[in-house]
Order: sequence, then structure tokens, then C-alpha cells
Amino acid sequence: MSALNLACVAVFLPVCVAGILWVIPALRTRGRIGAFLSVLAALASTASALILFGMQRAAPNTVILDAQARWLTREGRSMADVGFYLDGVSTSMLVVVCVVALLVQIFSLGYMADEPPAAFGRYFTYHSLFLFSMAGLVVAPNLLQLFMCWELVGLASYLLIGFYFKKPSAARAAVKAFWVTKFADMGLLLGIIILYAQTGSFSWGPEAVATLTASGAATAVGLLLFLAIMGKSAQFPLHLWLPDAMEGPTPVSALLHAATMVAAGVYLGVRAMPVFAASDQTLWVMAHIGGFTALFAACVAVVQTDIKKVLAYSTCSQLGYMVAALGTGEIVGAYFHLTTHAYFKALLFLAAGSVIHGVHSNQLQDMGGLFGKMKITAITFIIGALALAGFPGTAGFFSKDLILEQLLHAELFFPYACGMTAAFLTAFYMGRVVFLAFFGPPSEAAQEAHESGFPMTIPLVLLAALSLGIGFFGTQLAGLYGAEYHFHLSPTGIVASALGFLGIGLAWMAFGRRPGMNLSAFQPIGNIIRYGATDRIFKAVYERIILGASAVLSWIDRYLIDGLMNWSAYITVVGGRELRGSQTGRIMDYVYFLVFGLLVLSASGWIGQ
Amino acid sequence: MIPTLQSYLLLGSGIFCLGLFAALSRRNAVGLLVGIELMANGVNLNLVAFSRFTGLIDYQVFALFSIALTVAEVVVGLAIVILIFRHHRGIDTDLVSEFEG
Amino acid sequence: MSLMPYAFGGLTAVVLVGSIFAASSQNLVRSVLWLGAALIGTAGLFALLNAPFLAGIQLSLYTGGIITLMLFGVMLTDREHAVTRQNPSLNPLGALLVAGTFFALLASAIMNTELPMHMGDFNGSTQAVGLNLLQEHLLAFEALSFLLLAAMVGAIVLARRRDAE
Repeated sequence: MSALNLACVAVFLPVCVAGILWVIPALRTRGRIGAFLSVLAALASTASALILFGMQRAAPNTVILDAQARWLTREGRSMADVGFYLDGVSTSMLVVVCVVALLVQIFSLGYMADEPPAAFGRYFTYHSLFLFSMAGLVVAPNLLQLFMCWELVGLASYLLIGFYFKKPSAARAAVKAFWVTKFADMGLLLGIIILYAQTGSFSWGPEAVATLTASGAATAVGLLLFLAIMGKSAQFPLHLWLPDAMEGPTPVSALLHAATMVAAGVYLGVRAMPVFAASDQTLWVMAHIGGFTALFAACVAVVQTDIKKVLAYSTCSQLGYMVAALGTGEIVGAYFHLTTHAYFKALLFLAAGSVIHGVHSNQLQDMGGLFGKMKITAITFIIGALALAGFPGTAGFFSKDLILEQLLHAELFFPYACGMTAAFLTAFYMGRVVFLAFFGPPSEAAQEAHESGFPMTIPLVLLAALSLGIGFFGTQLAGLYGAEYHFHLSPTGIVASALGFLGIGLAWMAFGRRPGMNLSAFQPIGNIIRYGATDRIFKAVYERIILGASAVLSWIDRYLIDGLMNWSAYITVVGGRELRGSQTGRIMDYVYFLVFGLLVLSASGWIGQ
Repeated sequence: MIPTLQSYLLLGSGIFCLGLFAALSRRNAVGLLVGIELMANGVNLNLVAFSRFTGLIDYQVFALFSIALTVAEVVVGLAIVILIFRHHRGIDTDLVSEFEG
Repeated sequence: MSLMPYAFGGLTAVVLVGSIFAASSQNLVRSVLWLGAALIGTAGLFALLNAPFLAGIQLSLYTGGIITLMLFGVMLTDREHAVTRQNPSLNPLGALLVAGTFFALLASAIMNTELPMHMGDFNGSTQAVGLNLLQEHLLAFEALSFLLLAAMVGAIVLARRRDAE
């Protein structure tokens, strides 16, 4: 099996399944068959990805596959190619995507089992579509294919967020997500167009970047592409859609909105880093927005009562870390954290899903004391929480530490401070969730909870193992794409870990002993920068600016353009009515006209002499 | 004064314009035809004059054709006048106004 | 002494007088008769121009045929002698203006053009006309006969009495 064959299997098998399920409703509406096919495709993709990963490990820091097919030609040369580009970065990301997708699909077999068969089949069709889109994005050799898969991923996200489309809030959330990311994608499109106009290709290679810098458009392109990242990876102020996206089923939240889709923005940053690094202003903007988002989202996460919303804001915050790391110009930190975050955030979401499945509610106050009843879920969730908080030894510790060190080294002090504060808050709010959900007196709903079945627990265990173990392979992972990384204990690491312990301890004090602490200290912050305020701003912008612009345009259309049409019709009618007067019907008049015409012709002929 | 081609042409044009005047100022359908006849007559005179002065006899043949065509046209025109008379009980051109509007 | 100028002058007078009265007479029958006079004058001019065949044709077809036809038409459409008396003018000034402009145009064109002055031998005999007609313009000749047939049939169809209506 050559690398090309494996890559084809990994990327195309899921879309074939999605296509089959779409075209043959019988397979889809039967439910379980569709799910089986989809899981099988995911399994094949994962296996191919792992084999490719092995091939990459055998040949680190090389491109193991660069196969492209000409798609558009222009003047004999190629204008756009599509194909596979597998190097250290894309191979390991492919593994992440496929593994998480597979585990989420297996988890869904248990979680979505209560759905009617037709919806069950539809769910897995969308999952396969998503896997194809994300894989295509990861292996994209140039910005054009990346853009196409980016949009496809957005489509899959829309379909999956609005899976319960009969629920108005879910439908609205799907549209909102689509709206905000589409706005951001404008930036991607414009950036790609400017890049192509200046460099004549869609690639992000060093030659293209040199041309771009020479032409002076590097900052513009960088900022435009960053706009797309802000939308996709939910950075302030385009983060609004992510909490609403929790309307989708929890496995979808795990896959799309924690591990992979929102990571696509960071992946773009990693891939096209030469383009961003060409402009110092872009990097500065990235670092500061990322840092601010990390802090802001962490603050908001503290006051959430819905467990999924806590995790959503947490994702937002962690993405802020990655974006800030990208702002240093180095990809190691961001990419490492991307990988580790994928595993432990997926784990947290799936475990939360297990809890939600058990108590039939998202709200923290309906939980409590679940440690005894759902041992596996509880333990894996705690492992994930520790990884997120950066507990020493977990994967999250290594990657977060690396980011903070990079920020300090690049002398980006504001993002660094934000990152440190956010580390404290992260530990605090995760501790809060753990203590409220798994310890303390149970609510009535929690009394009847029981552990979930195998399809749900096995992925939890696997992800927990990954969350613990991946951190130790940091050096090897970095070596795959030629970066240096060695862990060494530094003051940053010590301070960050101390903050983490502080956060956990504070949470235990607040929630472990007396559940339901009055968070009045956080209320002012919460009120000022609450989700509600930003949502109101969004609504105001939407109503005033967008609807206002539409009103102006529709006025122009109705009165000016239509008016022009109506006026010309009016002129025609009036002119016809008046000119009709010349048709008297009297012969002598016609004779006159005839002669007159003759006269004019003769005269003109004579004058023309 | 020896008549030159110019004099013949002037005469022909004069007859043509008189015919034009007649055609424009008559309210009677047959009067209109009289005017048309005069115009054709003037044209024929011109043609024959040209034939004489350029030495080409083709113009006389042309004039012959013109006469024949004019005859055919008058025949049909008079038939139409008779039709109009039958319909309108008069041959005033103002009576024929079905094409109005 | 050449009679040419006098002949020309006399015939010109006949034609012009006939045309003017034909155009301005208030009586339709008189108008048609004046037209006849003008046509006869033109026939004479044809003769002066060495076109004897055409002069003959003009006399027989035009004056003989068309004038007769027009008189027939006038008589057939006369109701209580109304028509024969009335040949009113319609806006003579406008017509005069237009015709006058046209004449001015034509006259200036004629006076300002280089015209051939070949007044020498010219064979305008019937034989020459016939030869030219049947050799150079045979197709037109045949087409013309067809046209005459069509005109005849058309006139008959148009003007016949429709008994069974």
C-alpha cells in the first residue's frame, strides 16, 4: 500500500459512504446500517492515517507524499491543483482528526441510540461528510483546496448543529454559526485572492511569501486570513457562535467544536505561518487577540451553569492560547497544544455527554455526587479536567507550559499575563465543575443516574490514556516536522503549576465543602463582559447595520432601478399615444409624408455632393 | 436657341413638379391619379432626353418599360377607385380613413 | 434655318400649359382632358428627340388608353354629377411649397452637373429599340408581360360586381 493509496482511503472513503447514504435512502433510514458503514469508514481512515503516521516517523522532517492533480489550467500552466500534501504536520493532524472522529462515532452509537432510525442514519451521514471535509483540509497542498474544505467543514457544522432542526433554538444557532463564520470566511477569500493576485499561486511556500512581502501586501493578507481564523476558532469578538453551537448533540460538540473544526483555524495558522510571519503587525494582532480571548472566555466560563457551555467557553479560551502562540511566529507551541487539547477536550465533552445522558439534563444543579454512580465517567472526566488545568504530568501541562514560555521569550507581555491569569481561572472553573457534578449531595435527577454502556465508556478510557500519555511524546512529535522541543522546568512552569493548584484549591473551598457558592465577586466582571452583552451588540449590529443596509439597497432597487424600468415603459406608452396622431388614415396626409421623405432624401443626397 | 439636354431636363423636372403639386393638392382620388400621371410623364421625358444625348438606346427601352408600368398601375388604381366609390358612395380621399390610429 | 428651336418652344408651351391646367382645374373632367393635351405635347417632344417609336406608344397608350380609362373612371364614379363638378383643392400653398422646393432642388442639380452635349447622329429607330429590347432586356420584357397579365387579372377581380355576397 503506497502512501497515495492510503491517503486516498483516508480522505475519500468517508465521503463515499456519505454519498451512498445520501443517495440510497433505504440504507440511511434503516439507521443502524448507515451507522455501521460510517464507523467502518472511520475505522479504515484511522488505520490508514496510523500507517501513514508510521511512515512519517520513519522519515521525519520530510514530505512523504506530495501528489497533486491539475484542476484548473490557465495559459498552459496550472492555476489550481488539488491533491495530498503529507508532511509531519499534516500526518499527525490527520491522525488526530481520524482518531477523535472514530471515537466520537463509536460513542455516538450509544449516545444517540434513542433517536429514531431515520435521524440516526442522517446523523452518521453528516459525520462521514465532516470527516471527509476535515481530512481534505488537513492534507491540502495549497490555500485553494484548504478554502474549499474549509467551507465544506462549515457546511457540516451547520448541518450537525442544526441536527435537531425542529427545535427553534437549534435552528437559530446553526444559522448564527454559519453567519459568523461566513463573515470571517470573507477574509479568507479576500486574503487568498490578494495572495493570488500578488504571487500568482495559491501556495504558502517561501517563494510565494517572498513575492508577497516584496509587494507590500503581506500585512493585508495576513490580517484577512486571521479574520478567518478568528471566525473559525471563535476568537473575540467572533466567538459568539460557539456557545450557541452547543445546541447540537454532545458528540458533535466534542468532535467539531472542541477537537477538530475549531482547530482548523489554528491549523491554517500553522500551515500558512510563513504568510503570517511575513508581517510583524499581523503577529502582534494575533498574539493580543488570542491572549485577550483566553482571559475573557475563562472569566465567562466561571459563571456558566450549563456544563456544555462551560466547556464551550473553555474551548474558546484554549484556542486563544493557541492563537497567541501563533503570534510568536513559532508553530511548535500552538501545534502541540492543538494536539493535546483535541484529546482532552474531546474527552471532557464525551464524558459530559455521558453525564448528561445519565441525568437527562445539562445543568450543573441537576448533578451532584455522581462519582459513586458513574465511576468510569467520573475518573476520565477528572483526568481530562486535570489535563486542561495543566496538572503536572498530564499532556496539557507540557503544551500549555510551552506556549507560556514562547510568549515570554517573544516578550509579548500582555498575552503572557492573560495566559497566566487564564491558567488560574481554568483550574478554578474546572474544579468547580468537578466538585459540583461529581461530589457533594446529589439532586433528584442525579439519584437515578447509572454508568453508561460500552460504546460510551470505551472511547472515554482511550482518550483519557491519550490525555495522560501524549505529553511525553512532545519531542518526537515536534521532530516530525523539524522543530526542536525539549522540556525543561522553568520559572514559568512552576508559577503556572502553582496557579493551577491554587485554582483547584479555591474551587474545593468554594464548592467542595459548600456547594453553590455565591460568586458575587465575579458578577461585575460577568455582567460587563457577559455573553449577553456581546450578544446584544451582535444583535444591534445585525439589526442596524445589516438590516439597514438591506433597507437602503431595497429602496434603491424599488425606486431607482424599478423606477427606471417603469419610467421607460411610461415613455413608451405616452410616446406611442402621441405618435399615433400621425396615423390619420387620410391618404393625402400619407402622400405628403411620402413626398416629404423623398424631399429629404434628395436634399441630403444633393448636400452630400 | 438650340435646346440642350439641360433645357429638356429642366422641362421634365418642371412637369414632374407640376405633377407633384397636382398630386398633393387634390382631394379627389382620380385627381390624385392625374397628378401621378403627370409625374410619370415628366420622368419619361427625362429618360428619352438622356437617351438622345448619350447615344444609348437603352434609356428609350427603359422609358418604354416605364410607360407600360404606369399603364398597369393606373388600371389597378382605377379599379380600386371604383371599389372605394361603391363602398363610400363618393371618391373624396377623406372618406377613406379606415387606417386611422 | 432650323425649325428645332421653334418646335421645341411650341411643344414646351403645350406641355406646360396642359400640365398647369391639369393640376389646377376645379373640374375633374377638364383636368383629365388637359392631361391629355400635355401628353400629346410630350409625344411631340419624343419625336423631336429622335424617338419615333416612343412617340407612337405615347400617343396610343397614354393619350388613347389612359385618358380614356380615366374618363371612364370619372363617369362611373359620378353620383348626381357631383364629382364632375368638384375637384377641390386641398392646401394649395403647402403643395406649392413642396413642389417648388423640389423643383429648386432638381434645377440646381441640373444646372450644376456636367452634362453630355452629344447632339450628333443618333439612331432611335424602331428597329434599334426593338433589337435592344429583345436582346439586352429580354428577361425584363418577359417579366413585364407577366406583370401586365397580373395587373389585368387583378383589376378585374377587384372591380367585378359581387353578386352572391
